[in-house]
Amino acid sequence: MNHLTPDNQRPPCVLIAEDDQALRELLSFAMNRAGFSVACCNNGKRLLEILENGIDDASTAVDIVITDLRMPALSGLEVLEALFDRPERPPIICMTAFGDAKTHQAAIRFGATHTIDKPFDIDEMIDLVRAVYNYKNSQKE
Amino acid sequence: MRLTLRITAAVTLGIILIFSLYSYLSIQREREQLKKNLSREARNLGQSLLFIVTDLWETRGEKVAISFLRRRNLLSPNLQARWVWIDAEIGTPFRPLVLQSELSDLSNGKNLSLLVSSDDGHDFLLTYIPTKDLKGRLGGIEVRESMDELHGYVKESLRRSAMVVAAAVASALLLMTLLGSIWINRPVRRLREQAERIGSGDFSASLDIGGRDELGKLASSIEQMRGQLAAAKEADDEATREQIETLEKLRHTERLATLGQLSAGMAHELGTPLNVISGRAKLIASEELSLQEATHSARIIGEQAERMTHIMRQLLDYARRGDISKQRVVVADLLSNVVEMLHPITNKQRIEIELNLPTESYQVKADLSQLQQVLLNLAMNGIQAMGRGGKLRLDLDLHPEDKNQLRISITDDGKGISADDLPHIFDPFFTTKEVGQGTGLGLSIAQGMVSEHDGKIEIDSSPGKGSCFRLSLPLDSGEDDA
Repeated sequence: MNHLTPDNQRPPCVLIAEDDQALRELLSFAMNRAGFSVACCNNGKRLLEILENGIDDASTAVDIVITDLRMPALSGLEVLEALFDRPERPPIICMTAFGDAKTHQAAIRFGATHTIDKPFDIDEMIDLVRAVYNYKNSQKE
Repeated sequence: MRLTLRITAAVTLGIILIFSLYSYLSIQREREQLKKNLSREARNLGQSLLFIVTDLWETRGEKVAISFLRRRNLLSPNLQARWVWIDAEIGTPFRPLVLQSELSDLSNGKNLSLLVSSDDGHDFLLTYIPTKDLKGRLGGIEVRESMDELHGYVKESLRRSAMVVAAAVASALLLMTLLGSIWINRPVRRLREQAERIGSGDFSASLDIGGRDELGKLASSIEQMRGQLAAAKEADDEATREQIETLEKLRHTERLATLGQLSAGMAHELGTPLNVISGRAKLIASEELSLQEATHSARIIGEQAERMTHIMRQLLDYARRGDISKQRVVVADLLSNVVEMLHPITNKQRIEIELNLPTESYQVKADLSQLQQVLLNLAMNGIQAMGRGGKLRLDLDLHPEDKNQLRISITDDGKGISADDLPHIFDPFFTTKEVGQGTGLGLSIAQGMVSEHDGKIEIDSSPGKGSCFRLSLPLDSGEDDA
């Protein structure tokens, strides 16, 4: 299971922002099983706080973000907008239920690495997260 | 018709005046002429007689001369001649019929004609031919001529004139009526009919009364006006048609937008639970889960399926709210019932409910279960806006501006609705609540149902202080038992 290539000893960290509890739990469970460490939040405002201040004590860096676009407090697009001029931001995968091309384009334009339509195949999501993570690491080297 | 009558009356009056004047003048003239003829005749006769009498007087004496005159008078009773002495005393046989003073011209040797009236109303023409006897005493022949003939003639002239005037008036009346009808009444009637048609908005019929007179010109002016009005109306109709078309297009676009909104809402509401179900199912299928994990996943699948069922049912309620059966509902009872039903949740969330009912028992014609659902939806909306704690007030009264409307106000002191959200709160799938808390259909359904009861919902909200939903429904007077 462990074909990830961690740059140090800790497993890569995925931050999941999703307001639906059931989906959040599912993603969290699946990502955990796929070898990621997982942090969660249920709105855009909290997501932005975590990305700005780090998780809890800022000791763990967030490697990848999975976020819903439609969320209370701040929407996914608003978070993207806030992070737009921050080059050190982690890659962001956006989930959307609207599915129209405009929403996808807007997310990409605001700096999303990838967009995915709900409902998605959970395995596909895991593959996507792995691919994005590996690409990020290869860019670093 | 009145105009024709007036003109006819004026013309007739004119004809009568002119004819009368003409008749009067011609009769006067004829009368003068006749009088002149008569007096000439009398003078000639008088002179002839004077000659004879003078001759007889000189040759055979006074008595023969006077008796000659008497005999002569037997020949023509209308023309009597006799001898007079101008200076004769009253009562003597040779005294003139008129006073001496009127005969002063005779002393100059001139003839004299006078018109006199007798006491019994007859007119006479008296002609005096003077002469002097040998002693120089002034005497003469007096010719007395009756004017009855002249009067008869004048009377006849008058009668003829009257007949002519009457005939002229009658023919003028006839002609004016006939021609007035053809030249004035008929075209005026057609003009009036056309003006009335135009006035009532019918520009279709054209009018041509012919002729180049004033009425013809008026008709062509009206015809021109009709053309312009018809063109203006045509343009107006065209504009209205375009407006309606635009409106239809807009409505179609709106319908599409609503459909898009509905689809997007459905995609969001159903997409997430579907995602969870497929993900959990896949996890179970991977056979890598512990029994406990698999059971947990299976339970979540069940919950999500139930959530989707709930959404579908609400959507169907929204779409299929047509079948309603109205009955007479005592609103106060219904409100008490709703408060009773809300009791468990208000208890749990420590929310106080205040129900203010009027003393009078108001009724509405409504579908009981729908009205109950509307009230529950509005109340739940208020309760959810408050979270924990707070007071929900339900008031029932008559609409202050329309006494035929009943008003139910549901007031909460929750978070209120922002100005941005206010126009959308009745849109299907619009929600400001956390996912899973509401589908965004509750208020849409409530409003749909209220419209079907000929009522409406108005909102008064200030963010941070709370909202008030005012539901108005037509009051049932309770008179007709349908």
